[in-house]
Amino acid sequence: MQYQAAESWGAAYAAMGGRADPLERVERLAAESAVVIFSVSTCCMCHAVKRLFCGMGVSPTVYELDEDPRGKEMERALARLLGGGPPAVPVVFIGGKLVGAMDRVMASHINGTLVPLLKEAGALWL
Amino acid sequence: MANHRVGETGLSDSGPSSQPVAYGVHGITPAATNFFDQEGAAYFGELEEALMQGVAGMRNDGDRKPFFTTRPPTLEIFPSWPMRFQQTPKCQQGNSQPAESTDSGSAQNTISQPDSESPGSVKASSEQSSEQQQQRMMAGDAPSAEAAAPNHQPKTQDNRRVAGSTAEKDGKILDAKSLRRLAQNREAARKSRLRKKAYIQQLESSRIKLTQLEQDLQRARSQGLFLGGGGAGGNISSAAAVFDMEYGRWLDENYRHMTDLREGLQAHLSDGDLRVIVDECLAHYDEIFRVKGVAAKSDVLHLITGMWTTPAERCFLWMGGFRPSELLKILIPQMDPLTEQQLVGICSLQQSSQQAEEALSQGLEQLHQSLGDAVASGSLSEGTDVGNYMGQIAIALGKLADLEGFVRQADNMRQQTLHQTRRILTVRQAARCFLAIGEYNSRLRALSSLWASRPRDVCNRNLIADESACPATTDLQIIHQPVHSHFSGF
Repeated sequence: MQYQAAESWGAAYAAMGGRADPLERVERLAAESAVVIFSVSTCCMCHAVKRLFCGMGVSPTVYELDEDPRGKEMERALARLLGGGPPAVPVVFIGGKLVGAMDRVMASHINGTLVPLLKEAGALWL
Repeated sequence: MANHRVGETGLSDSGPSSQPVAYGVHGITPAATNFFDQEGAAYFGELEEALMQGVAGMRNDGDRKPFFTTRPPTLEIFPSWPMRFQQTPKCQQGNSQPAESTDSGSAQNTISQPDSESPGSVKASSEQSSEQQQQRMMAGDAPSAEAAAPNHQPKTQDNRRVAGSTAEKDGKILDAKSLRRLAQNREAARKSRLRKKAYIQQLESSRIKLTQLEQDLQRARSQGLFLGGGGAGGNISSAAAVFDMEYGRWLDENYRHMTDLREGLQAHLSDGDLRVIVDECLAHYDEIFRVKGVAAKSDVLHLITGMWTTPAERCFLWMGGFRPSELLKILIPQMDPLTEQQLVGICSLQQSSQQAEEALSQGLEQLHQSLGDAVASGSLSEGTDVGNYMGQIAIALGKLADLEGFVRQADNMRQQTLHQTRRILTVRQAARCFLAIGEYNSRLRALSSLWASRPRDVCNRNLIADESACPATTDLQIIHQPVHSHFSGF
């Protein structure tokens, strides 16, 4: 599991040269890795989803929104994306595409569609 | 509205004899009919009385003020009813009719009345007047008025005496349109009366149901939590009580589905028929997950502690219900024979559910950790720092609320597991599978009741010997009792 540190965020921010729409930012970050999880460090459900991927042998990229200066906006953007209220986290992207919140991730794992998705994104070999 | 005007004007004139007048009933619009519906029969009854009085009060000799204040200057607006109809009643003015008619009868009779018409029974007068209508009316209008007549017949049974009105037999002109409208109005009134009756009946039955439900609730509260709670007594929340009740009903319904499945399999139904039963069964499981979701919002602790299940089931409880991988482990031997592909599917399903369970359990563990930390924060042995305490309590409450999410995810997982199992298996296999699940839970419930009723009396047995004693005959008898009224860990 790789946690993005705040400094690299700052660097990326500066590189972008200014304000970006939070949703755009989310999508950009999501496209950078095979498996991306937007999380909050104190959220237990986020912990559960991280454990799920680790248990499958996947190494997801985790962004802790409570440790990011613009995390609040991104959380709101994610909530809007999912079309529901709080909590917006955890949200999982695989191969740059939105999978959804915990219930969608669980459902897709149970009905067998998660593993092929992971293999396609190159996050899982076997 | 025109009707009001009619009523008002009509009331001012009263008298036995009447001169029927062409209504010029443009005032009575379809909107008026709706008005009748809304206001109900009572109002309409009064209105009709007023109408008839107004009709009765009309003199067509020009002395009286017009029936409608906005009445057109000429009455020759309905060519099928030429003016001469108005003239002829004049010669019959002498006829004074007692107020014998009902709503329908008078309207009917205002068309044209013969001298010889008896004021007695309204029905007779209706019939007679319809005869007159045939004689007097133009061909085009006769059928419509006659068609109106049968509608009036049932109404005459209502026998609403209209004081002061007559049977309208002096050839009062009522065109077919207004007749129709009157008939429609009456129909509408009748319908609204019937609707009112039906509504009241519905209210009554709902009230009875409500009192029954309240009684059930009282019973549930007084008994504590059925078999589950033991000494908890009356400390059950209303949401929990409601859930317990709904769960009890769900179990009864589930028992019926099990019976259907068993009979369906034994009768060797076609795959199509069996599929219907199996899908019904699956939908029934969806229902309990939905109900649990609702209950979790108000009382997740009730669900997660399993106070709604029997003790034996509570042993196996995982996050407020059954553990999917465990259930699959039990079911796989029951599913034989499986094809290679099915076996692969079931095994990967088992593996995924194990991984998901593990993930959720670890998340729950972290929740327990943070909850414990929040409750234990600060010093436990010395005085509490109120400010910090309140903050920590808020965190703890938040963690408890997060529990709802976990129970929901666990139920979601259970539901998905059942659906995926259904997808992998054939109809027949799925039927046996669901039957197996039902039977397994029935046995758990039976175990619970056996356990609860095992002999513990001191008089007849040595307490120490009890531990290793064989089940008494009473226990064996209990096994054969129906146990579907108890609960299972779903």
